[in-house]
Amino acid sequence: MEKIIILGSGPNRIGQGVEFDYACVHCVWSLQEEGYQAIMVNCNPETVSTDYDTSDKLFFEPIVLEDVLNIVEKEKPFGVVVQFGGQTPLKLAKPLEKLKIPILGTSPESIDIAEDRERFRDLIIKLGLKQPESATAKSKEEAIKVAESLGYPVLVRPSYVLGGRAMRLVYDTSELLKYIEEAVTVTEDKPILVDKFLDGSIEVDVDCVCDGEDVLVGAVMEHIEEAGIHSGDSATCIPHYTLSDEIVEEIKEQSRKLAKALNTVGLINIQYAVKDGEIYVIEANPRASRTVPFVSKAIGYPLAKIASKVMIGKKLREIVPEVFQIKEKHPASDFLPKDFPFYAVKEVVFPWNRFPEVDPLLGPEMKSTGEVMGIDRDFGLAFWKSQAAAGQILPTSGNVFISVADKDKPHIESIAKELLKLGFRIYATSGTHKFLKEKGIESVLVNKLSEERPNIVDRIKNKEISLIINTPSGKRERSDAYYIRRAAVSTKTPYFTTIRGAAAAVMAIKSYKEKDLDVLALQDMRGI
Amino acid sequence: MPKRTDIETILLIGSGPIIIGQAAEFDYSGTQGAKALKEEGYRVILVNSNPATIMTDPNIADRTYIEPLITPVLEKIIEKERPDAILPTLGGQTALNLAIDLYEKGILDKYNVELIGANYEVIKKAEDRDLFKKAMERIGLSMPKSAVVKSISEAEEVIDWIGFPVIIRPSFTLGGTGGSIAYNREEFYPKVKAGLDASPIHEVLLEESIIGWKEFEMEVMRDKNDNCVIICSIENLDPMGVHTGDSITVAPAMTLSDREYQILRNYSIAVMREIGVETGGSNVQFAQNPKTGEFYVIEMNPRVSRSSALASKATGFPIAKIAAKLAVGYTLDELSNDITKKTPASFEPTIDYVVVKIPRFDFAKFPEADPTLTTMMKSVGEVMAIGRTFKEAIQKALRSLELGRYGFYMGLENVDENLLKEKIIKPNPDRLWYIAEAFRRGFSVEEINKLSHIDIWFLNQIKEIVDYELYLSTKDISTLTEQELEKAKQWGFSDRELARLLKTTEEEIRKKRPPVSFKVVDTCAAEFEAFTPYYYSSYESLSGKVEEDKIIYYRDSE
Repeated sequence: MEKIIILGSGPNRIGQGVEFDYACVHCVWSLQEEGYQAIMVNCNPETVSTDYDTSDKLFFEPIVLEDVLNIVEKEKPFGVVVQFGGQTPLKLAKPLEKLKIPILGTSPESIDIAEDRERFRDLIIKLGLKQPESATAKSKEEAIKVAESLGYPVLVRPSYVLGGRAMRLVYDTSELLKYIEEAVTVTEDKPILVDKFLDGSIEVDVDCVCDGEDVLVGAVMEHIEEAGIHSGDSATCIPHYTLSDEIVEEIKEQSRKLAKALNTVGLINIQYAVKDGEIYVIEANPRASRTVPFVSKAIGYPLAKIASKVMIGKKLREIVPEVFQIKEKHPASDFLPKDFPFYAVKEVVFPWNRFPEVDPLLGPEMKSTGEVMGIDRDFGLAFWKSQAAAGQILPTSGNVFISVADKDKPHIESIAKELLKLGFRIYATSGTHKFLKEKGIESVLVNKLSEERPNIVDRIKNKEISLIINTPSGKRERSDAYYIRRAAVSTKTPYFTTIRGAAAAVMAIKSYKEKDLDVLALQDMRGI
Repeated sequence: MPKRTDIETILLIGSGPIIIGQAAEFDYSGTQGAKALKEEGYRVILVNSNPATIMTDPNIADRTYIEPLITPVLEKIIEKERPDAILPTLGGQTALNLAIDLYEKGILDKYNVELIGANYEVIKKAEDRDLFKKAMERIGLSMPKSAVVKSISEAEEVIDWIGFPVIIRPSFTLGGTGGSIAYNREEFYPKVKAGLDASPIHEVLLEESIIGWKEFEMEVMRDKNDNCVIICSIENLDPMGVHTGDSITVAPAMTLSDREYQILRNYSIAVMREIGVETGGSNVQFAQNPKTGEFYVIEMNPRVSRSSALASKATGFPIAKIAAKLAVGYTLDELSNDITKKTPASFEPTIDYVVVKIPRFDFAKFPEADPTLTTMMKSVGEVMAIGRTFKEAIQKALRSLELGRYGFYMGLENVDENLLKEKIIKPNPDRLWYIAEAFRRGFSVEEINKLSHIDIWFLNQIKEIVDYELYLSTKDISTLTEQELEKAKQWGFSDRELARLLKTTEEEIRKKRPPVSFKVVDTCAAEFEAFTPYYYSSYESLSGKVEEDKIIYYRDSE
């Protein structure tokens, strides 16, 4: 029996959690089904992959070159799988390949193209796709120049770290300077990367599986929060709930092109931003992403398992022939028929209660530790469930506090009106209060922190507020907003820091008040 | 007695999203539990809101609900599926809290559902600080001076009796959320307030501080015939004051004398009986005064916990699986040990190696957060390593962490002495490396023990590693003998670290050093043949070899 070694994901950390263990376990099962001896290597005791009856052989060892090589030498496997355990095994792909150890699935070369900024840009151009404008700056002065020519806001990050670390969204030159002085060094050999930020765009994640010939799109996921939030921290929905079918079909088409151009053999995750009907590619990762379990459960097909079979040479047409028979496909998934009636919402949870010093605000750096899923026929109820599962029970009545940045004010009008219709009272501080008044929307004026007490934070602490909508102005100083958010966390008051999040919450409250909440077993979603 | 036939359908509650204090270990335990119950022919209903889990795969349970873990939703599932029983002990605190709520709201009675594994009274007795304290008094075990308070004014009444420093532990929270230590009156009140707010029942325990005491855990299992086995003893390298989840832990306990171990063994079983956990696994935590040897009971979890996952992986004994089978009526002697196939589950595991767990932190994501380790858990993950000796295991664990460090070196040469001392006094994620640096600078074991309260035995081990590292750094690859290189490997030095010390490449070390051998985790220290292929590596000479799927043993004595 041929042996295959699967490298696990090592210790859990933010950005690399249990979802990768899930993918590894599926890979083990899949290879066993295909008649291989599956050998698991991992050092994380909190996992299913390190259960002795999961794999054919378990090596409880560090995932570093020395220890992995020892096992490879001992077992002489047919191949090594690095694509399911996140960054940990991926880092070993090149050194292992150098030693002529066969890496199964997408080649390290393709992974490199996807990760190398220049090479990836060339590929995008070749395929006739779009990316947000960007540039590299090797000095402070150059950074200012570049940012001004791209136009604020811009996303900045050091070139030498991966995965959104130290990434920041800056709105003007003073913030850019502050970032350069406090957070990073900019030198000739350590440039910073500056990307045009597509303000107000909608982000989309796509997970696909590709066998080199066919590409099947697992799902197109529409993010709930607007761009600027790390994709791992965004709530997301299958299928899309505000984007048009045409845009989603086009995203599927672009994903197929990219998957094939990167010679993907296995899984690939691609992120997009949609603004004014234009689709921009943000990044592509030819490996298992953290959304794989969520997608698999939403569509009823285990993507990691299918991808594993592809990696040992099977074709998608043999593995899931029925998928190719579907006459009218769902716009958001190649695996589903057009009339698939469910919404699945993924929401994340944050460790804010552990770190009282930290501003509980979403941003381009990932901070969540885990995820939940809500499923229903109705988008509103699916979102309601996802919030409840994440520990946030949305209110059905009471006072809603609204305080939004100027750029968000135009979007708050419809949300505020709907809340009034649902029977809520609106509380607002002067700026938002004035705006609502101009629009003929009634609200109660409350004091800011700097004003007379009781102020808004007092009211939150006294539990007079049942829902908070508070979007950041972009500035990161410890303003009123910080204390409002901290008070929300400590009193467990539901709060939203994005307009799209707030809009989804209003839809959820409406659905919850008007419809009955029901429960659904996965086995009933499709004939599993 | 075989399994129960009066129940058919069992509801298993998962632990929800991964949060600090409640992580992937409950996917492991829930998956094992569901598989074990299905194997016995029960219809298994599973509910968990977390899709990134194996247990929510549609082929694990008969009916899988990815739904919010809140009482009204649970009631709907119960109404629809009509389970005969709920097994709440495999889904962490979340599942236990839900089971309590379902009971208290009369939902279990309404639908005639029984709690198996641990019933309402047991959960209450173990979780309610006051009831637990009274139970411990009844069996003559000591606990730190403590009082449960529900308000600031109640706290004020007892603080003089308890004294400072005082530990504040909110009731019914996960992984010590809202817990803290107050050293003076000024910080006492806000911290009590924060604790009360964090507790779902607005209650905190104020506890005499035993910071600096040694900390031990025992994993115990009991069946309905009152058979009890100790699966594993675990010692925390970090003394009391650091949450177990944030502590470096070692199995088996390293610094207990046999007499002390037997005392803890008896105490653990006594606790289990008094609390009344009828079947399943529990975790009992103890503190020991390093000066007098006196033991205190700290707490017990009447359920599978993070430590149970560790103990399962450390020994090869599948605690969650066995717990599920005990819950449906089997006894330990009726269940066989999968690994040996010959011994029953009532055999206590014996291990002939050392296991080290080190937590993984992610403070880089939260630059404003205070990285000081306290009674509130802050780590986001962990690694475990197995070696023939403590030295080998801890050095393997260090490189498993993926911090870009391949041993006890992290480049602290330029740290000034005050900071160095502070980092040893105040527990923090890098404390081990600061201790190693202090040894490099000539600090004595006694000095470090005074600063950190870490037991002398562990400090000696680290010092020996550092001393050998200093010796190696005076050599280079051509002047080092084979024996010296072999000793370095046996003490857990990584090839990469040796390359740095011996001024050569990792590849070169690999060529010169002795080959590794693989050994089996077999629950019985090689007394019986092992059938499960669960391995760890070691550079210890002449002892085990993997040949296809058959294990051939080589022994010095044979």
